[in-house]
Amino acid sequence: MPLHRSVFKDEAKLDINYIPQKMPHREKEQRLLTEFFSFILTCPERMAQRVILTGDVGTGKTALAQNFGASITSETNKRAIKFRYAHVNCREYRGTLLPIMHHAITVFRPTFPARGYSAENILSTLMQVLDEEKTTMILALDEFDSLVENEGSDAIYKLTRLQEMRQGKPQRLSFIFIMRDLKSLEKLDASARSTLQRSIISLERYGKPQLVDILSQRVGMAFESGAVEEDVVDLIAELAFTETGNARFGIELLWRAGKYADAEGADRVEAECVRMAVSNIIPGVSRSELARLGLHEKMFLLAVARYFKQENEQAYALLSEVEKNYAVICEEMSEQPNSHTQLYNYAQFLSSMKILKLEVGSSVTRGRSTKLSLLSIPAHELEKELSGALEQEKGSG
Amino acid sequence: MGEAALELEEVFSSKLRMRILVLIYNLGSLNVSDVARRLKTNFATTSEHLKVLEAEGILQELSYGRVRMYRFNEGSAKAKAVENLIVAWEQSK
Repeated sequence: MPLHRSVFKDEAKLDINYIPQKMPHREKEQRLLTEFFSFILTCPERMAQRVILTGDVGTGKTALAQNFGASITSETNKRAIKFRYAHVNCREYRGTLLPIMHHAITVFRPTFPARGYSAENILSTLMQVLDEEKTTMILALDEFDSLVENEGSDAIYKLTRLQEMRQGKPQRLSFIFIMRDLKSLEKLDASARSTLQRSIISLERYGKPQLVDILSQRVGMAFESGAVEEDVVDLIAELAFTETGNARFGIELLWRAGKYADAEGADRVEAECVRMAVSNIIPGVSRSELARLGLHEKMFLLAVARYFKQENEQAYALLSEVEKNYAVICEEMSEQPNSHTQLYNYAQFLSSMKILKLEVGSSVTRGRSTKLSLLSIPAHELEKELSGALEQEKGSG
Repeated sequence: MGEAALELEEVFSSKLRMRILVLIYNLGSLNVSDVARRLKTNFATTSEHLKVLEAEGILQELSYGRVRMYRFNEGSAKAKAVENLIVAWEQSK
């Protein structure tokens, strides 16, 4: 088989984890973030700061924070200032304070035991470790909403007051809280909220011309010269713009369209490749989010998808109905099914990820009933994606 | 007053103590259970050896609430000498 030349020169530049050095249309926010933390370069240990970075999906919150983290780390290294930037996605730890803070400690003590202490102990341990290392740290808590939802006011209050409780000692820990929506802070009591809402940087949704610039930058980095014409970039920008100005969606679509072009043996990414790619992309949720789900969470979500695929006129499913599908999937996967309570926890978690909507109503005949509905994801697409992922897990297990 | 310092040959005559030192050198800091688990020895024996190495000033114990971890004693000349020995040994392999 003759080897066809790929349209990509470096497809890793389209990976979700790739952080570009320059972020088009976020220069102002980047400068603001640098200003908020400029004390780290001029008078470290004498100040600490808390900044909220907020904006919709795909507005560049994570990339902006990580980009800033890399640049301040390089600057502190040049000036021989002891400093660490750590970025933790709270949702990966189910919004639970203890493993999140454990992650922060393992930046300095990689073998620190994961068990054997309380959430309060671990906060003071982090400060002790920072003192031992005589360093300052910016801890970026990504998807902070999940921590707020899961832990509530007490934990957030303790977290944000860590420095104040160390009167007279060096100020070592600053935070960047990254969240989609400031509304989730309304769940906190007034004192916890007041410790948070000081410095807020809001990232507005990208407009179409901005998306064109972002995509053009990535095209230059990732594709061979001339492989992606302007009209194709324009089409992808239009699609990303209708998907709430989501740059991440646009970049994923660009990569996928390139893959279709390679599969066709084409020298260029045509508009048809984009159309094929968009028909195979799940709106509303990214593949990486699905991939991060645990085995039983995936099986539970597959059970929901199968229910709505079979009962396509139904808007809601009862948890008990989904449970039957889940039991069948467990049998297919040779797994022991989890309890009803555990399934309810999965439903709550998936609801916090905005994949499902959860409603708890009262039933006339028996106690409370839990109703589930799928938000913006077509059931057949979700089923296809999850079946593939589970097949892979079964194969690798 | 603490116990009298051990002779050099007494400190380094134990195979397990040497394995503990190499392990902690490579991983930075560890608690007793972790050392015991990684070296497949029992907790009590491991704990005793760690205490000997601490008493000799080679290791230091860091205490974080209930969690206790051991690492090389940063201010100790003995610790530095042992670290150099391990480096020289590993580089010559």
